[in-house]
Amino acid sequence: MTNTVRIIINDQTYDVPAGMNLVDAAKWYANDDIPVFCYHPKMEPVGMCRMCLVEMGTIEKDRATGQVVLDENGQSKVRWMPKLQTACTTTVSDGLVIRTQTQQVQDARQNVVEFLLTSHPLDCPICDKGGECPLQNLTMEHGPGVSRMAFSDKMRLDKHVPLGDLIFLDEERCIQCARCVRFQDEVVGDDVLAFHERGRSLQIITNSEPGFDTYFSGNTTDICPVGALTTADFRFGARPWELTEVPSICPHCPVGCNISLSTRLDRDFGGKTLIKRVMPRQNEQVNEIWICDKGRFGHHFSRSEDRLEDPLVRERSGRLFAKSWTDALAAAAEALKAAGSDVAAIAGSGMSNEDLWALRQLLAGLGSRRLGAWPPTHAGAEVVAQVGVGQGTNLGQLGRGDAVLVIASDLEEEAPIWRLRLKQAADRGAFLLVMNARPTRMDDFAAQTIHYETGEAVQALLALKDSDAWKQLAEAHNLVIVAGAEGLSLDGSRALAGAAANILLETEHVGKPNSGLLAVLPGANAMGLHYLGFTPAATLDIMQNPPKVLIVTQADLLLDDPTAAHWLAKVETIISLDLFASGLTQQLAAVALPIQSFAERDGSYVNGERRVQRFYTAQGPMGQALPAWQALSRLGEQLGQGTAKLSAAAVMVEIAQNVPAFAGVSFKELAKVERQYPDVGGKDLYYGGTAYRNRGGLGIQIPTAADQGQTVARFEAAADEPPKTRGKLVIVPSVRLYNRERTFRPSALVHARVPEAYAEINSADAKKLGIQDGDTVEIAIQNAPALRVRAHVNGGAPKGTVIVPRHLSDTAAPLAVTVGEVSKAEG
Amino acid sequence: MNVIRGFATTFKHLLEEPVTYQYPEQIRPFAERYKGRHELKRYDNGLEKCIGCSLCAAACPADAIWVEAAENTDEARYSPGERYAKTYEINMLRCIFCGYCEDACPTEAIVLGHEHRLSFTNRKDAIFTKDMLIDPVPEGGQATPQKVEPGVFTRAIPDMEDPK
Repeated sequence: MTNTVRIIINDQTYDVPAGMNLVDAAKWYANDDIPVFCYHPKMEPVGMCRMCLVEMGTIEKDRATGQVVLDENGQSKVRWMPKLQTACTTTVSDGLVIRTQTQQVQDARQNVVEFLLTSHPLDCPICDKGGECPLQNLTMEHGPGVSRMAFSDKMRLDKHVPLGDLIFLDEERCIQCARCVRFQDEVVGDDVLAFHERGRSLQIITNSEPGFDTYFSGNTTDICPVGALTTADFRFGARPWELTEVPSICPHCPVGCNISLSTRLDRDFGGKTLIKRVMPRQNEQVNEIWICDKGRFGHHFSRSEDRLEDPLVRERSGRLFAKSWTDALAAAAEALKAAGSDVAAIAGSGMSNEDLWALRQLLAGLGSRRLGAWPPTHAGAEVVAQVGVGQGTNLGQLGRGDAVLVIASDLEEEAPIWRLRLKQAADRGAFLLVMNARPTRMDDFAAQTIHYETGEAVQALLALKDSDAWKQLAEAHNLVIVAGAEGLSLDGSRALAGAAANILLETEHVGKPNSGLLAVLPGANAMGLHYLGFTPAATLDIMQNPPKVLIVTQADLLLDDPTAAHWLAKVETIISLDLFASGLTQQLAAVALPIQSFAERDGSYVNGERRVQRFYTAQGPMGQALPAWQALSRLGEQLGQGTAKLSAAAVMVEIAQNVPAFAGVSFKELAKVERQYPDVGGKDLYYGGTAYRNRGGLGIQIPTAADQGQTVARFEAAADEPPKTRGKLVIVPSVRLYNRERTFRPSALVHARVPEAYAEINSADAKKLGIQDGDTVEIAIQNAPALRVRAHVNGGAPKGTVIVPRHLSDTAAPLAVTVGEVSKAEG
Repeated sequence: MNVIRGFATTFKHLLEEPVTYQYPEQIRPFAERYKGRHELKRYDNGLEKCIGCSLCAAACPADAIWVEAAENTDEARYSPGERYAKTYEINMLRCIFCGYCEDACPTEAIVLGHEHRLSFTNRKDAIFTKDMLIDPVPEGGQATPQKVEPGVFTRAIPDMEDPK
């Protein structure tokens, strides 16, 4: 147990853990909110704003005897410090005495506020922070009614400075607390903001090109205690008190950040409810109080113009016609009846658990078990289900004595919040080992980096035992292995997950919190796909032996897989349930059914840490769209599979009864919350920023086999043969966080940051092929249309390898590692 | 005698001017502070005073006001400062003419005027949009949006001098 110390706050005695910050301790244990501007519970104190001044003293002890000195009343005597002290730079210690409500303290607070307001503009009516502004609140609470400063001395500064494309700085409003600078430096590790000049001329600047170049910039607007930093997305969108908060889960990556959708009616949107902004919602075990910019600004797809709004049926002429749900479902049912059991389904990882269950039931009713998970790039979910990170894992607790191994993944691009939290774990002293064939951002934070040959991740992992890093991993108190699939085939990624699991089993790092395997699976619900029986292996089987009827749900086959058109041609009928009207729906679907996005209905996702998390309805449906579970359930009804389900909660009840992993899970259980440290989101916005308190539920983590005490056998981890190049180059698809996927394309704001389609080519290969940095090249791959991209020759790719980021153009990049020829293209 | 006195009163009133106003041909002057239909005011140069801050909507006890804001640029400027009201609507069926909106307004943009002839034949007509509420462009002023010199209209709220 941690040591506790006894402190006295306003004459009340409290026992608090030793080493705790005084502001945190007073808030958590004494419910005493010491006002702060610069202090933030997630960052190191700096004591710059002087708002947290308190009377401080220590209980006097006799130097000779160590006895507490008593005064004439028999009370212990306090040796008060001559001046007020900053609470935020004080760590609690035994015998510490503070007073936070005396006249002296109140005067000090009033003076600090008055001083901060000398040059603060009276902008509150037009300021986006107005209504949830720490400075506004603390001025009302502690500030003077009138200022003694001369109005003519007010500074007049630029009110509209873009720090990059996403964040605007109002120089007048800034109170120079350095929270944003420190956040970028301490928490993120992207040191792109800085103070410029000194004294009254001090300003925040960005020193990166492009400006504010980080994936986490939006968080600075949350922790900014004034309206100095505002997002371009929400700028003047609404006043905070007009917004309705709806708890939700970010649909973009396996981290499963808890978010809050701020909605309001909108005249331009037909007077209907609309998402105005996305804010983080505190879940200390998942995303703490941070979200990445993709999550924050990537909500626009939910009402993109490309959304499919009506059920469509393709007539003989080959054209799609809008039909009623009844007619469209009848057409789908007819095709399914004719196909018998020659049916298969491919489900995208944006589908909720309820959708997946309905799809599985539909296929089971037809006698088919061919359930494919999309995209079929990462295996290893089944390994995670056995030796994944233990129940109760919190990456925020990893530190000294622990170790983290990241292999074959570019975490910055694939799961930004994991990257942020693991960077902090490394800062706290965890041993971070990064292994990849190419340099990635994670290398910057690693204690050790190992670069292996492209495609030889498994070999590198097996060889780890003989390296000097092994001791650090084997003897670590906790060990987390984060395994991706970059540069690997599906079999290769399965072998990698197996090899990683074997290390965990060997070093006994399974079945306990803060240890185990994390797979960087694509999409928000890849683990849900696994638990409900959808596998990437089945997808490969479907691609090789196409069925008569294929049901595709929220999977962008044509944009993900360059060979999709080739193998889909063999499918007789495609029934597409999709968010978007372009792509597969428009080109190939015989029946297209519009479904609702994550923002429009209730449901649940399972994140990469196997946490089942619930999201709620935020905005109305687009057109006639239905939740996918409902559309599938009604289709089942047409096929005589029993009455359709009426609510997502009812579907979850059925899942809980039939799928062992979901035993005990219900919407009610998922909605349970408990008090989290630090206590942000209350009325004291100055403490933690504007991240929301979690009211929607913390979720339930599914136990692994190891958690349940089962013995897990070692996995097969035979190394994959490296692809035979025969003089060609190895094409390795990679992931970029900002890309042109249909779920991100409508966020026009961020699109200035999406790179033009490119490929990283090694300088030696480039020289041989006569390619220079910036040339347009053509990449030819079997069975797929040629890719025309710009060549980057800047040390990003190992020899013999071409790194091709996926989803940067309308031409699909290869789904998995392959070989191809690169040639210089004209023009 | 009493009868005569009674008749005298009657005849006297017959000869007096009638007190009835022949509304609507004839309209009584209003008290200066009469609270009639809202008017959105403009500055002399034609820029709108309203900055879309939505404080009127927050103050409104009847939830009758709907404001949506957007950002000004120097190419298309509606009001001084960065923010203007893109949508401004008052539902006159809900409005109780309390004048709290006027009190809440930081720029004195919304004023309850003397217009009182508010009748509608359906609910939709009761919603007064910004076009219906805003004052005409004053003489010598320009209509909004205006194209203006950069850096001139940077303040949303007129400067207030030191409290005297």
